[in-house]
Amino acid sequence: MSRYMIDKLMWEIDRSDEALDSFVEDPAAFVAAWEGAASAPEPPYPLGGSLTGEERDAFEAWDYERLYALGAHPYLLWHFVRAIHGPGGTPVGELSEAFKAAVAPHGYPEFAT
Amino acid sequence: MAEIVCALGAPHTPLLWRTMVDPVPGDLAEVAAAFDRSRRRLAAAEPDAIVFVASDHFRQLVTSNMPAFMVGKAPSMRGTHPNEVREFGLPVREVPGDPDLARDLLGRHQLPDGFDFAFSDEPWLDHAFMVPLLYLRPQLDVPLVPIFTNCNAPPLPGAARFAALGEHIRTTIQRSSLERRVAVLATGHLAFELGGPRQLSGGSPGPDFDEEALGWIRAGDVAGAVAGCTYERLLDAGNLTFQFLNFIALMAAAGAGPPELAEAVHCRFGPEPFMTWGST
Repeated sequence: MSRYMIDKLMWEIDRSDEALDSFVEDPAAFVAAWEGAASAPEPPYPLGGSLTGEERDAFEAWDYERLYALGAHPYLLWHFVRAIHGPGGTPVGELSEAFKAAVAPHGYPEFAT
Repeated sequence: MAEIVCALGAPHTPLLWRTMVDPVPGDLAEVAAAFDRSRRRLAAAEPDAIVFVASDHFRQLVTSNMPAFMVGKAPSMRGTHPNEVREFGLPVREVPGDPDLARDLLGRHQLPDGFDFAFSDEPWLDHAFMVPLLYLRPQLDVPLVPIFTNCNAPPLPGAARFAALGEHIRTTIQRSSLERRVAVLATGHLAFELGGPRQLSGGSPGPDFDEEALGWIRAGDVAGAVAGCTYERLLDAGNLTFQFLNFIALMAAAGAGPPELAEAVHCRFGPEPFMTWGST
């Protein structure tokens, strides 16, 4: 379980336009580079950290249903989903309906880190 | 001597910024009117400082280092964050601070007994502060003491801690030697869901909670609110209903008496709470 790392990665992508653009362009490369930095033996990640294979796959596939089921924080997840679909992408109402339909079968997973 | 001249609670729904524009859509007209009433109420109180209780939404604070309560003591601060400019279209503004009043709340050299604040000389306001301020005091000319609360990342401070926070705000201001007319503001939600299967459904995910919560506010019943706001009850009313806890702090800061006004204004985003108290 690395729920903290899921939340941290979503947070870092959403808060930086540069990170967002990089992730959208090549999710696998972005995640690999981020995990490399996260596991470096110096700050800001002195304790290291990495995603599980399932979590990595979910990020690379933009699989928000899987991230939700894994306990991603709902606030961070929704804003992450909105960010990666972009202001010119799926209209928010349509995106929200698709999101709700995808996550509903999973109920309310624990989201404390 | 300092005094509390009014206490106001309001919503901070950021989606209002792009939708509540001239001409105001029909379902948002009452929200606009409620903000205008609160704006005039605040102006009539003629505050020269605002103590503002609101949640950071993982903009400045994340769980690498998450405080329960953090007081901002900067002479000037910025809102909002780049991702909120991108997503909500909110403007970036500078807001003056009131470090002296912030230090009174913090205890200056030693944190108050029984209270454990974090503090920041570089607070960065998100929409929970900026949306209400832009509607309630668009001049952004009243110095602010922001109190960031953790209503997002479990483990959360319990409801009794929010009541204690409000009591602390009230007694600190009453005892302060500063010449201040202080408005206490708080923002949050009634039942609220985002990032779950009940989000953006045009109604409340917990209408029973909303009704009971408004009852606590209208009665000034802090003890009832504390007893009723367990983690499980709040979660059942929506996965992010925890921000109601800020209003418990507001009720306690206002002296736990009945408000002048407490209402939920319904619109496409759900029930938007407004409440006001006079001087305490």
